[in-house]
Amino acid sequence: MLTHTHKIVSLLGLSVNLANCLVERPETLSSHIHDIQTQSPDAFIIVTGDFNDCPRKTLLPFLHQLVDTPTRGDNCLDLLFTNIPNSHVCQKLWASGNSDHSLVYLRPKYTPMRHREQPKQKAVLVWTPEIWDELRACFDCTDWNVFVNSTADVSELADTVCAYIKFCIDCVVPFYNLSNQINVDETKRMMEHYKKENREQIKKNQSKMSKDEEMLESLIEQEQQEIMMRKALLKEDEQREKAAKRKHKDALIDDLMFSELSAEAIISSHRESAKQEEEELKAKSAATAFSTGIKIGHQSNIVPMSRTEQGVLFRYCPLVMEWCGPDPPSMDDIYSDGYLKNIRTASDAERAGGFREAIACHRALQEAFCGLYSYPTISPSPVKQPALIASTSH
Amino acid sequence: MVLFTKTKKSAALRAWNSTGSAADNSDDEVARFFLTSTEERILGRQYEVVLRKFCSEFQPPMPKCVVGTSLAFFKRFYVFNSTMDYHPKDIMLTCVYLACKVEEFYVPIGQFVKNLRGDREKFADAILSFELTLMGKLNYHLTIHNPFRAMEGFMIDLKTRHQDLQNPEKIRKYVEEFLDRSLLSDACLIFSPSQIALAAIKFGAAKESISLDGYIRSVVLQSASEKEAENTLYQLRRVKAIVKGFEPTTREQAQGVQKKLDRCRNQENNPDSEIYKQRAIDKLNGEDDLRPIKRAKMSEVRF
Repeated sequence: MLTHTHKIVSLLGLSVNLANCLVERPETLSSHIHDIQTQSPDAFIIVTGDFNDCPRKTLLPFLHQLVDTPTRGDNCLDLLFTNIPNSHVCQKLWASGNSDHSLVYLRPKYTPMRHREQPKQKAVLVWTPEIWDELRACFDCTDWNVFVNSTADVSELADTVCAYIKFCIDCVVPFYNLSNQINVDETKRMMEHYKKENREQIKKNQSKMSKDEEMLESLIEQEQQEIMMRKALLKEDEQREKAAKRKHKDALIDDLMFSELSAEAIISSHRESAKQEEEELKAKSAATAFSTGIKIGHQSNIVPMSRTEQGVLFRYCPLVMEWCGPDPPSMDDIYSDGYLKNIRTASDAERAGGFREAIACHRALQEAFCGLYSYPTISPSPVKQPALIASTSH
Repeated sequence: MVLFTKTKKSAALRAWNSTGSAADNSDDEVARFFLTSTEERILGRQYEVVLRKFCSEFQPPMPKCVVGTSLAFFKRFYVFNSTMDYHPKDIMLTCVYLACKVEEFYVPIGQFVKNLRGDREKFADAILSFELTLMGKLNYHLTIHNPFRAMEGFMIDLKTRHQDLQNPEKIRKYVEEFLDRSLLSDACLIFSPSQIALAAIKFGAAKESISLDGYIRSVVLQSASEKEAENTLYQLRRVKAIVKGFEPTTREQAQGVQKKLDRCRNQENNPDSEIYKQRAIDKLNGEDDLRPIKRAKMSEVRF
């Protein structure tokens, strides 16, 4: 009768003698229960036993009596007190052995989750290689033109195609735990029905396929033209955006220089106006997207990424130093010719920072050799002759 | 050098004439009133010595390259400017302050002027106000290649590739002496730092009666053509001639020139003069004059 929801259970049984004691000293029991409650406030307390002549109402004012059927003749004598009202349902059983008291079964009202819920069945698709083949075959023989021709709206087209694919999967792929042959007849009937209904169109489309192949060349050409056009549009947009940005910046700087409003106010107002213009531009571009004359049926949904114009590719050129003097020893010479013996070694801290003694050595040697052959011609005067004449004429 | 000085004087003259205070200027009058090129040179030399002394007593002690750089700034500045236009005492301090920054030995201006005696705030103001002028007049060529690192390079090379020489460190003292002397001469305006450094090594060693001719000919100038080698050796001799031939100016000479300068200097660049102060005030007021224009623009924005 106990459920696992109550973690702590205190069970108190009272003997006849003790019950008699209680008549004289009723506070013993209540103080005992009080102790239990202070020790573990969450405890589910059950008090049962012989309550002959006990002043029950005054004795246990905060406990609830659960037995509501007569247990001996017409009298309800076997009582059970708990601290949770209506937690159990009382059921009277037969008497046990020679007892004149009936047994009482108290069933918890709470039912666990797994007993309350109805068993469910889940549909699990079984993807075997054969199923894949079957599905592929199904899609291969599908006449996709039907969908394309039926609507002009891309999203609607997408919806119908998705729905069709889902329908096919439902038909072809078997469920786990379900008889996979269940819908065969029905599906076949549906397909036949469709074929009958659209026979003319199917024929038309099949003949069109060959035409399509002939038209392939021209289609590709058209597509390329469209791509070019889109690129040009994108470029134009980019340029316009750039110009607008420059204009904004100029205006902002202008205002910041000459207006006496606070800088924050100016910036925020500019940001707002910039946002507004951007939205307007967006609205405009959305409206013009369909007026370009690009056929929606053939338009790929992938917009080509706006590529930044590539300059000349990077080409590595080795650094050429002009020494105006003899070539200083190279880094390799410094290591191989024993230059490092003659300089201070780098400290640990310097090494940790990536410094090597060879770096300083290399630099000093470069400075030593650079410019040794410098013999400038004598005094090329930076002062122009007219200035000289002006000074002498004074 | 002479050419520059003439144009410098003409600039000073023009400035003077525009103020209308010199009515007559025959050549004699000019020479008597203004500094001659020789006098300017004496003054410059004198202040180079002062600069060196200031640097050697500077706290915290500064590395040599700062001294070299500030002297190079000072010399370069007066190649194109006259001491009459900009007084060397202002430019000298500004050169040191700028060199500290350029050589990454930064000393805040407050700490910098603690090395000076007198009205430190005034010095700080002067230094800061001339700093931009100095940089502009140097055409922003702020990187100075001092001969010190080149000298270290040659020392390393000497130890590595010329092992006949026993104990190369003993020539260091004379080499450094030579470099120090070269700082006061005009060598840094004429020769590349490596040439000065090599000359210092060569003639420093000569003082220890060590000849490094073999090293220079067979190691340093190994790959040089005959003509290049000859020219380089000639340059080294010229460095020596210029550095050794340097004559320090006497105090008395400099004092006479300074007195003359006090009368003829361009007051527009003198932070103590009335005209300089007046101009500073005008400049401030000029900034105020911009305000009405701003208001007009504001009203445009509003309506």
